[in-house]
Amino acid sequence: MKANTFLSTTSLGSLAVAAFVIGAVASASAADPVVADPSATVEYSGTVSVLTKFGLQQLSPFFVNAAKEYEKLHPDVKVELIQESDDSVKGKTKALVASNSLPDVYFTWTGSWGENFVRGNRAVDLTPVIGPDTEWGKTLATAAVSAFQYNGKLYGIPLYLDAKFMGYNKSLFEKAGVSEPKTFDELLTACATLRKSGVTPVSFGNKEGWPGVHYAGQLLAYNVPQATLEKDFVPATADYADPGYVVSLTQFKKLIDECSDGSGTNGSSYASAIQQFGSGKAAMYYQEIIEFDQATAEGALKREDFGFFKLPAPADAKGDVKSIEGAPEGYMISAASKNIPLAIDFMRFVTSAENGKVLSAPPYGQPSATVGGYSADSMNPAVVGGLKVIADSSYLMPWLDTANPPRVAAAWLSGLQALVGGTMSPEEVMERVKEAAASSK
Amino acid sequence: MAVMKHEHEGEAAKIGFTGPSRVEKDRFGPIAGVLSFRWVLIAFVLILWFVYYPIIDNFIVSTKNQDIFTGETAFIGLDNYRRLQGDPVFWTAIVNNTLYAVISVVFQVFGAFVLAALIEGLTEERWRRFWRAVYFVPSAISITVTGLLFYFIYQPDIGLLDSALTQIGLAEWSRAWLGEEGTAIYAIIAMSQWQGFGYSTLLFAIAIQKIPRELYDAAIMDGAGTWRRLWNITFPLTREMTGLMVIVTITGAFQVFNEVMVMTGGGPNNSSQVLGTWLYQQGFIENDFGYGAAIATVIFVITLITGFAQLWYTKRRRVDL
Repeated sequence: MKANTFLSTTSLGSLAVAAFVIGAVASASAADPVVADPSATVEYSGTVSVLTKFGLQQLSPFFVNAAKEYEKLHPDVKVELIQESDDSVKGKTKALVASNSLPDVYFTWTGSWGENFVRGNRAVDLTPVIGPDTEWGKTLATAAVSAFQYNGKLYGIPLYLDAKFMGYNKSLFEKAGVSEPKTFDELLTACATLRKSGVTPVSFGNKEGWPGVHYAGQLLAYNVPQATLEKDFVPATADYADPGYVVSLTQFKKLIDECSDGSGTNGSSYASAIQQFGSGKAAMYYQEIIEFDQATAEGALKREDFGFFKLPAPADAKGDVKSIEGAPEGYMISAASKNIPLAIDFMRFVTSAENGKVLSAPPYGQPSATVGGYSADSMNPAVVGGLKVIADSSYLMPWLDTANPPRVAAAWLSGLQALVGGTMSPEEVMERVKEAAASSK
Repeated sequence: MAVMKHEHEGEAAKIGFTGPSRVEKDRFGPIAGVLSFRWVLIAFVLILWFVYYPIIDNFIVSTKNQDIFTGETAFIGLDNYRRLQGDPVFWTAIVNNTLYAVISVVFQVFGAFVLAALIEGLTEERWRRFWRAVYFVPSAISITVTGLLFYFIYQPDIGLLDSALTQIGLAEWSRAWLGEEGTAIYAIIAMSQWQGFGYSTLLFAIAIQKIPRELYDAAIMDGAGTWRRLWNITFPLTREMTGLMVIVTITGAFQVFNEVMVMTGGGPNNSSQVLGTWLYQQGFIENDFGYGAAIATVIFVITLITGFAQLWYTKRRRVDL
């Protein structure tokens, strides 16, 4: 082999791939703002491309079936699906943005993630078609639609509601003589009792970083006033000086050390943790309501043995103890779409009450954001119960890693891993977050 | 030591890349040289467009601050390169890549060379085939599958490694190999050696097979032992392959990405970040494509220097058969 040929194909070649992607950014540019026209006629022909977050095997059939049904209703329309997982959708979306190839419909979280698309004029302003007084808007939970409001305009189509709960194994609790903890201290006491009974109290896998961020997010909502949190989510006003931050991280560290496998959890994935809980080897797992069906889908944990409670608030919490961490998740319409009315029509079909009931019931278990989009009879009772808790909550605390700008989110992710691993103190983590916030201004 | 030399003159002419023919020289005179270039023109244009243009474009991107969502860009000169100096994770990544390179050269070049020599030293062909296959199997497994396999091996407490340590009375050594900042990168490098070792061994085995048997027979007659033959015959006559393997291994170590993404994603607390994953983190997670491009330029410069250094070394010490 000629070494110089080799040189050109390895040391240069792989860089070229990265450079090609990165270089494409130079040509990416935002368009002018686009507003949905409620009187636009839908032309039922052509293609609608959709980027979903339902890439997991048990979730992917939902959009596949919805697309088939829609194509059956409108034979000249083809729905192209790009199905990504929770972990891969961020990278995929950014690659599509960078190359100006966003599909007609794409998944989004609320908070700063969704704001990125609005800032770049990449999302259609849906206010005229999804506002509270519109025909479509009346079929969707108003609070869920409002979660995608930016600059007083509505940009998102909420598909389902999500929030974080502590799921538990009733049999293991009963065996250990433990009842549902009502306070943070009771939770720590329950952990000690469960550990004595021979099970891991809380299964926790923090390889991805965000599972730790979810714990911290709920504790922050309890310990830091809502107004302070929302001020700190905005780069221009963020200072992260409230003492509640350090208090929250101290509680988080205590919870991980006393209830889980401690520092070793940085080497386990969240998927391993949910398996550990599902197979009955751990008594609790902090999970999203959209994972309730997944936890009892297979393994030793039966649906009737599954219970849940909101992460108990610490005593003397200075924030909102009635808050819950979570947010609706939904979709936006690309401002560059060639057929915006058709894309909107497809999403109206997906968010119909009928499809909502399918989405809310097993095996999907994603509580629909559509009014009347779920039926308690066909749903997992735990999901129905969780929805009631969400409805009674005073504040939906957004996920820290989507509410904050990317650099601050990265500081939370790596900082909390260091806290779990014991290489940083709560104060040091907050210093890192403050530095990241300052550099994001 | 006798060294056989083959004549290569005329071989290139057979495949048509040596320049204008006499007929062309007569017909086209001074432009004959240019005309002969037409055979490589398409390849040349493709290389320019797909390899060299992106490298230049990447450098241009690294001098800008870009917002991928708005498409706004601002020229910031070499600020991203100055920022690299004060970025502790960048230096962690440099150290990790260097560790990756050094350990990989030891195992995948010199270790694989010794193993290949031992395998090729076996008298029976069926055993040589058997051992080549045994060592090559891990290289045939995809990195995603390997990552998943080692993820379970390294699982704290229930993983194969910790269980084995407990079984042999070394329970105090067991730990969350991928979950601790001090061990994560070494656990990934170990996996990489397991996967890459067999491939290097096979390449060395092929190089060793090309060495004429008579050289060994003569050395044996002169009383040379196994190590003497390895050092005085096998090693010098596979020097070109060794040089090549060093380039492959070092450049590969500085471009490593998949292994780290699958196993740790660069964590915990960025302790296992390498340049490739830090580039990805900056570009695709933190939306800082300019800074990501600056990291890409650093990777390019490092691998280019390595490549040139090795080329110079192998040319100087080349031994033809």
